[in-house]
Amino acid sequence: MKSIGLRALHSLLLLVGASVLSILLVRLAPGDYFESMRINPQISNRTIAALRSQYGLDKPLPVLYWHWAQSALKGEGGFSFAYNSAAGPILWPRAQNTLLLAGCATLLAWMIALPAGVLAAARRGSWADLLASGTIALLLAIPELVLGLVLLLFAVHTGFPAGGMISAARAEAGFWDKSRDVIRHLFMPAVCLAAGLLPLLLSHVRAAMEEALRSPFILAARGFGISFRRVLLRHALPAALNPIISLFGLSVGLLMSSSLLVEAIFGWPGLGKLMLQAIADRDLFLVIDSTMLGTGFLIAGNFVADILLYLCDPRIRAD
Amino acid sequence: MRWEPGLAVCFGAIFFAGDLPCLKAVCPGSHQSSTSDEPDYLEVTGQTGERGGTLILSERSEAKTFNPLIAIDGTSRETIALMMADLIHINRYTQQSEPALAKSWAISQDGRRYTLHLRRGLRFSDGHPFDADDVVFTFRAYLDQRIHAPQRDFLIVGGRPISVQKLDAYTVLFNLAEPYAAAERLFDSIAILPRHLLEAAYEDGTLGSAWGLNVAPDQIAGLGPFRLKQYVPGQKIVLERNPFFWKRDGKRNVLPYLHEIVCLSDISSEAETIRFEAGETDIVSRIGAENFAILNKDEGRRRFRMYDAGPGLEYTFLAFNLNDLVQGREPSITEKQKWFRQTAFRQAISNTIDRGAIVRLAYAGRAYPLLVPVSPGNRLWFDPAIPRPLRSVERAKRLLREAGFSWSADGSLNDVRGRRVEFSIMHNARRAQHVQMATIIQQDLKDIGIKVNLIPLDFATLVDRVFNSFVYEAAIVTLADGDSDPNSQMSILLSHGAAHAWKLRSNSSPDEWQQEIDRLMEAQMTTIDHSIRKQMFDRVQQLVWQHEPVIFLVSPDILAGASDRVGNFQPAVLSSYTLWNADQLFIRGEQSVAPR
Amino acid sequence: MAFVQSPKLPLVALATVYGIVTMAGFFAPYDYERQNRHTALAPPTRIHFVEPNSRFRLRPFVYRWKLRPGTLHQYEEDHSIAFPLRFFASGRPYKIAALIPSWIHLFGTRPEGNVFLLGTDEYGRDVFSRLLYGGRISLFAGLLAAGISVSLGLAAGVFAGYYGSWIDETIMRAAELFLAVPWLYLLLAVRAFLPLRMDPAGVFLLLIAIAGTIGWARPARLVRGVVLSARNREYVLAAKSFGASDFYILRTHILPQAYSVAMTQARLYIPQYITAEVVLSFFGLGVGEPVPSWGNMLDSLQSLFVLESCWWMYAPAALLVIVLLIFEWFFRAESSRFQAR
Repeated sequence: MKSIGLRALHSLLLLVGASVLSILLVRLAPGDYFESMRINPQISNRTIAALRSQYGLDKPLPVLYWHWAQSALKGEGGFSFAYNSAAGPILWPRAQNTLLLAGCATLLAWMIALPAGVLAAARRGSWADLLASGTIALLLAIPELVLGLVLLLFAVHTGFPAGGMISAARAEAGFWDKSRDVIRHLFMPAVCLAAGLLPLLLSHVRAAMEEALRSPFILAARGFGISFRRVLLRHALPAALNPIISLFGLSVGLLMSSSLLVEAIFGWPGLGKLMLQAIADRDLFLVIDSTMLGTGFLIAGNFVADILLYLCDPRIRAD
Repeated sequence: MRWEPGLAVCFGAIFFAGDLPCLKAVCPGSHQSSTSDEPDYLEVTGQTGERGGTLILSERSEAKTFNPLIAIDGTSRETIALMMADLIHINRYTQQSEPALAKSWAISQDGRRYTLHLRRGLRFSDGHPFDADDVVFTFRAYLDQRIHAPQRDFLIVGGRPISVQKLDAYTVLFNLAEPYAAAERLFDSIAILPRHLLEAAYEDGTLGSAWGLNVAPDQIAGLGPFRLKQYVPGQKIVLERNPFFWKRDGKRNVLPYLHEIVCLSDISSEAETIRFEAGETDIVSRIGAENFAILNKDEGRRRFRMYDAGPGLEYTFLAFNLNDLVQGREPSITEKQKWFRQTAFRQAISNTIDRGAIVRLAYAGRAYPLLVPVSPGNRLWFDPAIPRPLRSVERAKRLLREAGFSWSADGSLNDVRGRRVEFSIMHNARRAQHVQMATIIQQDLKDIGIKVNLIPLDFATLVDRVFNSFVYEAAIVTLADGDSDPNSQMSILLSHGAAHAWKLRSNSSPDEWQQEIDRLMEAQMTTIDHSIRKQMFDRVQQLVWQHEPVIFLVSPDILAGASDRVGNFQPAVLSSYTLWNADQLFIRGEQSVAPR
Repeated sequence: MAFVQSPKLPLVALATVYGIVTMAGFFAPYDYERQNRHTALAPPTRIHFVEPNSRFRLRPFVYRWKLRPGTLHQYEEDHSIAFPLRFFASGRPYKIAALIPSWIHLFGTRPEGNVFLLGTDEYGRDVFSRLLYGGRISLFAGLLAAGISVSLGLAAGVFAGYYGSWIDETIMRAAELFLAVPWLYLLLAVRAFLPLRMDPAGVFLLLIAIAGTIGWARPARLVRGVVLSARNREYVLAAKSFGASDFYILRTHILPQAYSVAMTQARLYIPQYITAEVVLSFFGLGVGEPVPSWGNMLDSLQSLFVLESCWWMYAPAALLVIVLLIFEWFFRAESSRFQAR
């Protein structure tokens, strides 16, 4: 119980640290949101200066941070310059969509990586192993942006919807109809996102399994004549779980940052494109909010991983 | 099936009158043919369309607000333009001003007083009647210093805000501190706001944050052809037909024809192309030349048509840093400015750049090579006397030799004092065409022995360097485009203008030719006669061409496409390129809304 | 399988790749920046042995590409002149490994003709030559950044996992902070302060090294998980009770456990840092033109036109796959050897 309290405190410190660092970094990079307006000859310097002071960008950093912190405590998360509105209402509906997409993609990636990794490790040098190596290399060599475009083209030729979350003309359909529509739209971006995550998961699962299969007790178990299948699933897999669980925590933490580009390509109405634009526009508070969301995912992922580790590994429990 | 562009019929003559009593005499109630409860319709020409149908289009970014006072980005402004109307409107196709909510207007002889007569019997999209009070309220809001409406600056003429006065329920008088050329163009895109919905917010001081994207559809109303039906964050904005719209076609059908417009938001340019090709959307607007080429291949087999509306008003230029830098800071840039400040040097660079290759490689042939900031897309102000640029390395070398430059044995260029000529060009890393232009220029300048280093930067950093820190040697810049009138170039061409990007800080008085440009630009602004203004602006273009303060490169074509279902489609080079006549667009062979 | 066991073979293969890339000037027929603006996005030059009048020639020859009039980047062969391929032809001067000047190229044609083994890019530059020159930056940058990330991560992870308690907490929270914060802005800020004259490859290597430093958190987190479970194993506890020093235990018992995780991370990071440039160049943080790298060459694929109709522009990805497979082969052989010891 005490350790949970301590953990919460650490997480809080982490959140504060991340917010301070991110506001520092954003202000360190040259340019700000309103200054970029100067590319528009129709807007006068006077207007730009007035806007900057209205939104507090001419104030020192601690004051800006204080404004944000106050507003964050109210759940608004500061102010988006681009949308001229509180950041909270812009973020929440999109965060749900991102969770849906990223959640499905992570699930998909794990569903492929776990059996494939175990298989590849069990049969070293076999076609399954070579196929895994080839897939990893191919997925790593093609940048996510390009892979997304290829999948988009593929989608068009196979009759899948080319991006978006719902069909344009379908507004007043029933719940089931709507859900089916969303799932059809979800498929391609989820595949793309899973493809980005797959090399990481697959190679670590395979490595962990190989490691476990080499341990003396596995060799001993084989020596006792226990079937290979049983050894693999009953003895080796549990032994390999530790790094795999760490990886699971990490993959939850990566959810948001990895969906950034994929969402932009497929027009998925999540946080991705919003954030990409906010980063390029220097939409200060939106960037900090997205960092906070990312940090939140990380904390959650690591928390889940630690609990799982605690449950699975008696040695850690004894500590 | 071309149809006569735009609204050829112009209602109400433009009167020139000396004083008010006379004005009142020329606009009696007898002017109106309609009965008192039928609105004062504007009749338009063009193909008569069919009522109904849903138009689906994609936007590359998301609209950020529905508030016309503060909207800056293109997508928001395009969406707002569908829902709002202005008093006098610039026809995006003819580029001339024409009556809108103001049925007619009169200008006093000194050019300082504009009397506008409003249409009677009009209603906002929520059914509330419209009158002069709404106009007065609108201008009060636009001019309010607390709101910082970007368009406020236009409404300040001769240093003083335009004053607005209601003469009666349907007549409004505008007073200008100075005569202003083409002042009727100022009224364009000033969206007339519903006083009944916004006055409370105005009194609270919250008008600036009103009408965000989450506004309830019954809380927003305008006089445009469409009204808000639904906003789904990050996905789409659905607009529906405004039943109270005030235009009708030759057969007395009230516009608009379309039942709904669905704007899908945040679609990348590649996805947009793919979706249009697959028939998911009806219109693509301002697409890149390569995507245009993809869509344009084997025409005839496809169910859509592609349109090249010709060069737009946007232009790209190579700017040298001519700012007077703080003494002692950035000494290496100050050294190089000695070259940049020589007209012969800049002319040599201009002669060496192969604009034809830029047009061919970066724009797939769909752009216009420039020497001045006016492309032929600007119908009223383009000067055909300015020649098309031709590459000539010999001429460039001659210019440099005459200016005292010389070449060393390995072919590299040296200045008078024997220093090697080498400079860097910054460009926006995210715009493929800018990267391509920079790479082509770099290779071109090798031919006269100049080594160029390219510095790709993200947009915000680049703007910061050009407009704020002045730490750069040369940069490729594209400014946002505005109206076709020379007045919209004031801030760029005037030596003290806010967008005079290449020389924002100056310690001395400008060069003689720049002073002449200043004088001409100031003079044309207060000249009413169009032909005299044209002469003045032609002279400005001549001066720019002769001295090349910056190296103008190209104006890209405005490229668009529409499904064969869409009738009356006519892309223009002014914003909003494909939707300026949305009230006349229609869907063929569809009587009702049917999901595709 | 036997070939997996010996790390010598993949090492030789890797050395060959790095060797070819270092000698890019010799193997590439052209330099990386020469633009042939009238043959932009031309497909690979076909190598002929038979003339149109069916006469066989022993020496292979090529034709020039000619733009099909009225098309965008569609070419046909100009059969009027045949250009025989020459081997060890003299051409543009270059320097072997940036030191020894030379002008001999492995193959080429007369200067009026062109041989584009892998077609040309948007400016009509030879993709094959750019691919070889690009490897000089990309292969080095990937190794550099991955090396920095993994060694830092390994050290931090072992330290945190082995000592536990507050050291572990501190390092792991720091890792989370590093994973969460938008470092892109740091790169943007660093980029802004670099001198205007700095060479594009140098800028990129500096930035990718910073990115590598920032990337320690992921391997650290994974290594720490392994170490955490390793340090409580019986033999470690036994060694401790015998009074073995921390250093000894770390070296003999803990590090081998962490090694496989670290190597897996390295294998992932090398290509990730190479292709990261596609995204980095969005923000002006990639290698500037005209210097090629595999990352900025792949960047062209973002144009739908290139993606759909110019298959030769995928060449950097294909070569990267091959190099990655060789790396994979090497790492696996190496890890078998490591285990055997």
